[in-house]
Amino acid sequence: MPDFTPFLVSGLATAATYVLSGVGIVVLYRAAGVVNFAQGAVGALAAFISWSIVEHGGPPGWSWVAGVVAAALVSLFYGRVIAPRLAYSDPIMRAVATLSFALILLGFMGYVWGEAPRRLRLPTDTMSFELLGVRITMTRAIAFGLGVLATSAVMLFLAYSRVGLQMRALASNRDLSAMLGVRVLRVDSWAWVISGLLAGVSGVLLADLQRLSGQALTFAVIPAIAAAVLGRFVSLPATVAGGVTIGVCEALLTPIPVIGPFRTAIPFLFAVGAMLWMQRRMTFVYR
Amino acid sequence: MTLRNTILGIVTAALFGCAGGVAHAADAKCGATTGKAATGEPIVIGGIVSVTGPDNFSSSGLAATAYFKCLNANGGVNGRPIKYQMEDDGWNPEQSSQVAAKLIRDQKAVALVGNMSFVDCGANQGIYEKEDIMVIAGVGVPRDCFFQKNYAPTNAGPRVSNTKAVMDVAQTYPGKIKRVVCIAPNIPNLGEWSCSGAVAWIKKQGGDGKIITFDPGSLDATSVVLEAMAFKPDVISVGTPKGLAVPIFAAAEEQGLADKVHFTGPASLYNPDFPRAIGKYWDGKVTVDMELKAADAGTPDMLNWLAVMDKYGQASDPRDTFSQAGYLAARVTAETLLKMDATKIDRKSVTAALRNIKRFESDMWCSPWYVGDGPRHNANHAGPVSFVKDGKLVAKPVCIESEDPELDDVHAYEKTIGIAK
Repeated sequence: MPDFTPFLVSGLATAATYVLSGVGIVVLYRAAGVVNFAQGAVGALAAFISWSIVEHGGPPGWSWVAGVVAAALVSLFYGRVIAPRLAYSDPIMRAVATLSFALILLGFMGYVWGEAPRRLRLPTDTMSFELLGVRITMTRAIAFGLGVLATSAVMLFLAYSRVGLQMRALASNRDLSAMLGVRVLRVDSWAWVISGLLAGVSGVLLADLQRLSGQALTFAVIPAIAAAVLGRFVSLPATVAGGVTIGVCEALLTPIPVIGPFRTAIPFLFAVGAMLWMQRRMTFVYR
Repeated sequence: MTLRNTILGIVTAALFGCAGGVAHAADAKCGATTGKAATGEPIVIGGIVSVTGPDNFSSSGLAATAYFKCLNANGGVNGRPIKYQMEDDGWNPEQSSQVAAKLIRDQKAVALVGNMSFVDCGANQGIYEKEDIMVIAGVGVPRDCFFQKNYAPTNAGPRVSNTKAVMDVAQTYPGKIKRVVCIAPNIPNLGEWSCSGAVAWIKKQGGDGKIITFDPGSLDATSVVLEAMAFKPDVISVGTPKGLAVPIFAAAEEQGLADKVHFTGPASLYNPDFPRAIGKYWDGKVTVDMELKAADAGTPDMLNWLAVMDKYGQASDPRDTFSQAGYLAARVTAETLLKMDATKIDRKSVTAALRNIKRFESDMWCSPWYVGDGPRHNANHAGPVSFVKDGKLVAKPVCIESEDPELDDVHAYEKTIGIAK
């Protein structure tokens, strides 16, 4: 029987980055009604921009800020320029459009940065402590802390701020909210900015913790989407639970010989399982 | 200047720096070195590489292109120029089969040279054997590339390379290496096979080994490293492409493993960007196998390869180990064709002539290379090993002969043609 404890500890930080992206996806879906498949690609762009600034001698701290801000701006650009033109199209069309945007960003990153081996480093990588036999860097701890903090902040923002209230109103009934005076485009823009900020933070952390690769980071959206599916694109606590479960399960399955090499299928299993579970009543009705 | 050009400039400069800045020290010499362009009827030679897809995997084909240009500018094959057609298979088996059919059946290529693809060997084995066309490949990667009659790569392959990497560590620390972990991506016909040689070798020495395969799409390298450490290894071979290796080394650094376990890797990590990507922490703590000798060896063939690339290649063409392999594939083919009657060159005669190569020597290889008429080809199974020092890969001065048990049939065949020691 393998010792699962180190894998549990290791999986928590990865899970936190899934949570950050998943929360960004849910916030955007609730406000703007768009399932954002470009979340990972926007995060990857943030990571590459940070890396480039450091490579050209820039200060690391500001490079991460610049990367995250750039992610928010790219997200805002999509939200102001492209998304409004698709506002009355089918939800699937809107989701596919974000997938196209992700592939455009992926192509752009491939053209500019290529696939040469490189690594994004944060000063917190050199600070560490031991937990249950695993050395934990401060970056890993920060990732987990940020996951918890960002989720709490977004929940408070939605619950108590005026924009948060308007977002909730849009989520309930978009047309009615507009008639009541909610400035839809402005509120949508806020949602795109929040989504971009969370994507940027998640991208920079994932690039440091795992891999600075356009392709890998772009497709890191899959576990985040799976987490959002578990939260039915509505519930932030359920999304957080989903992200943590997926990240930790992925890590825990590592030492199991037959399943370990294929553990990246975990998000799909969770997403499919959740969808079947959510539709169980409908199935009963049809019978 | 775009950011991409700046980056390409830096990479090219670094690669030239790695090559010791000797590219201008020699004149490019190809074929009959007449200095006169060949004007006769072209001889069609094809090449299949992977340009578009997950990575640009075409370095070998680019080097072959440069060599054939050089050959054509120096009299060609007794007056006939080589028309080299390099096709992109896009990492797609179906596309690979289409371009193979185009080159072999439509363009009537007499041979394929400089191939470098993950999918070519598996997708096209049937057509190569049916049409009896020889492929003098630059870089073979999956198992299929080393187990067919018509495919002869100039490189050693990941399995031989992994075995040599582990053997080198064992030779450096005699009696201390008993347990080996080899990490590879779970790619069919590649991942597990590429590690099996190293594990079989350590078991033959009385030790034990474990192969860890992982999904290349997985982002959690720390779990892979923790799984490796649970086996309590003395050496870990990171048998992955360089891009996948960087996060594994980062995770190992995070766990402070460099002083606890020896780290090594096959030739897929032999890239000038690699030491910088993994960082100073690994200085003097990682060895990397090489399928061919170092680019800065300064030997005649090495200088000629650099001179050919300098004069007939593009500045952006990589000067890496895959480029060396492509140069060798083109040179072997050209020198074989030069011995033939130029008026009687067709596929059948070229296939027979290439199969008849029983000894081809170059200072880029550690031992003579050959094709022969055996059922499979893995002629390159000896080479040096490098180590990371001051942000560079420095080659050790000795060659290591791979003792992978899977090479027993290859060694037996070599005895019959007088190559084996």
